[in-house]
Amino acid sequence: MKNNIIILGGGQAGIYAAREIRQNDTKSNIKILGEENLLPYERPPLSKDFLLDKKKEEDLYFHSSDVLKNENIEFENISINKVDFENKKLFAKNDNVYSYDSLLISTGSENKKLTLDNNLKNDIYYLRNLEEAKKIKEIVSNKNKITIIGGGFIGLEIASSLSQLQKKVIVIEIGNQLMGRIIPKQIADLVQNTHIEYGNEIILNKQIEKITKKNGDYEILLNDNSLIETDFIIAGIGSTPTVKLFENTNLKLDNGIVTNQFCETSIKDVYAAGDVSNFYHPFYERNMRLESYQHAQNHGICAGKNIAGVKTEYTSIPWMWSDQFNLNLQLTGICDEYDEIIERGNDINNGVIYFFLKNNKIRGACGVGIIGKVGRDIRITSKLTEKDTIVDKQILSDQNIKLNKLIQK
Amino acid sequence: MSEENWIEVGSTDSIEEEDLIRFDHQDKTFCVYKLTDGFYATDGICTHEAVHLEDGLVMDDEIECPMHQGIFNIKSGEALSPPACEDLKTYPVKVDNDKIFIKID
Repeated sequence: MKNNIIILGGGQAGIYAAREIRQNDTKSNIKILGEENLLPYERPPLSKDFLLDKKKEEDLYFHSSDVLKNENIEFENISINKVDFENKKLFAKNDNVYSYDSLLISTGSENKKLTLDNNLKNDIYYLRNLEEAKKIKEIVSNKNKITIIGGGFIGLEIASSLSQLQKKVIVIEIGNQLMGRIIPKQIADLVQNTHIEYGNEIILNKQIEKITKKNGDYEILLNDNSLIETDFIIAGIGSTPTVKLFENTNLKLDNGIVTNQFCETSIKDVYAAGDVSNFYHPFYERNMRLESYQHAQNHGICAGKNIAGVKTEYTSIPWMWSDQFNLNLQLTGICDEYDEIIERGNDINNGVIYFFLKNNKIRGACGVGIIGKVGRDIRITSKLTEKDTIVDKQILSDQNIKLNKLIQK
Repeated sequence: MSEENWIEVGSTDSIEEEDLIRFDHQDKTFCVYKLTDGFYATDGICTHEAVHLEDGLVMDDEIECPMHQGIFNIKSGEALSPPACEDLKTYPVKVDNDKIFIKID
């Protein structure tokens, strides 16, 4: 049967869903509605290789327009401002109306903004999309002392890139460690040491009291009355799911759009995937919302299968990475539910991994090392987690024994 | 192709089964694998970002990049899983007197 399938949101989850639907359904119309006038592109390089000029805009696109054309996937740059779930219609700002049989919402997430009592809104920069990355890249070329508010992944990746561009960088973090939302303190401390070795200043446990503009530069007053002078400010203080469009509808929302393990929302024929979805994970038996490359991709693919009628549970063990300086940090699974921690290695040059176990089974792991040094073990850990079996702790803790031993048949 | 394009990599017991070694020759890096049915060779650098595949995971006939989990078929070089989308170059391998040789063009 030929259906109209609309994908609202032109990011990674959307494009992977579209291509997966097409693999399973050659007849239906598939249309992606994107707010940016750009084909879906990779965001991870924006804070790293794009700022460093190692990747250009044309390197970022997932697929060329030819691929979409060949697979008969339409992409339209349009902003939707109203949804009528009952009549299965989307309304655009320019009065266009789009009817759907199945809808995938993949609107992603958006940056939280600093609340400032003076009119400095346009002076603080954020990085999520290509346009913002371009602006930052252009402006920092004339700046020297840059302050980053927020010591999470995005802030630290920018800090790493700007340091490599010979800028003086200060990172201010409100918490008592970097990347505190999901990264264990042991790993965060190793990353912090590297930033300091490369000359970045890291300030923890401090809140911003006030930012004042002075002769084109800025003064940041912290809650211990210390003052930071800076000529450019970037904030990376977390994100929220992009759900404003659905706030006055009967779509069930709770830290994003609530979905089950099949990417189905509370409304029939409406699916959600990627950053915007607070999904049920059958392995961890709880709901979670993830903001990562692997999740956007795999959740999009899973939604695509379900929309095309191939009933598929989403069971991916979470995985994410961050690249800072010459370090590659990786996390798999969930590191906040454990009764035992096992350490593997103690030298960042060979990689350091912390495994988080519950009832002698791995729930998650987080590692950091010089590029290439933790990836294999983290990947094996994902497989071990998925297997849900009791692991040999001696092998986990001994870097001289390859973890491959634990998964070989 | 002439015989001298066969370059000696090392002895057959230098690689464990379902594993790989890195081999550098002139300014290029290769990976040489021992799978259950023999030896194989590919370029040593991931086609997605410049990272050595020597630290990657070999599972069945696949090599997975340690940085971003792009997956390639070791025998054909085919990119199987994003973010990798460009195939990996493969090279002929032969074993002679317990020594592994790869043919570099």
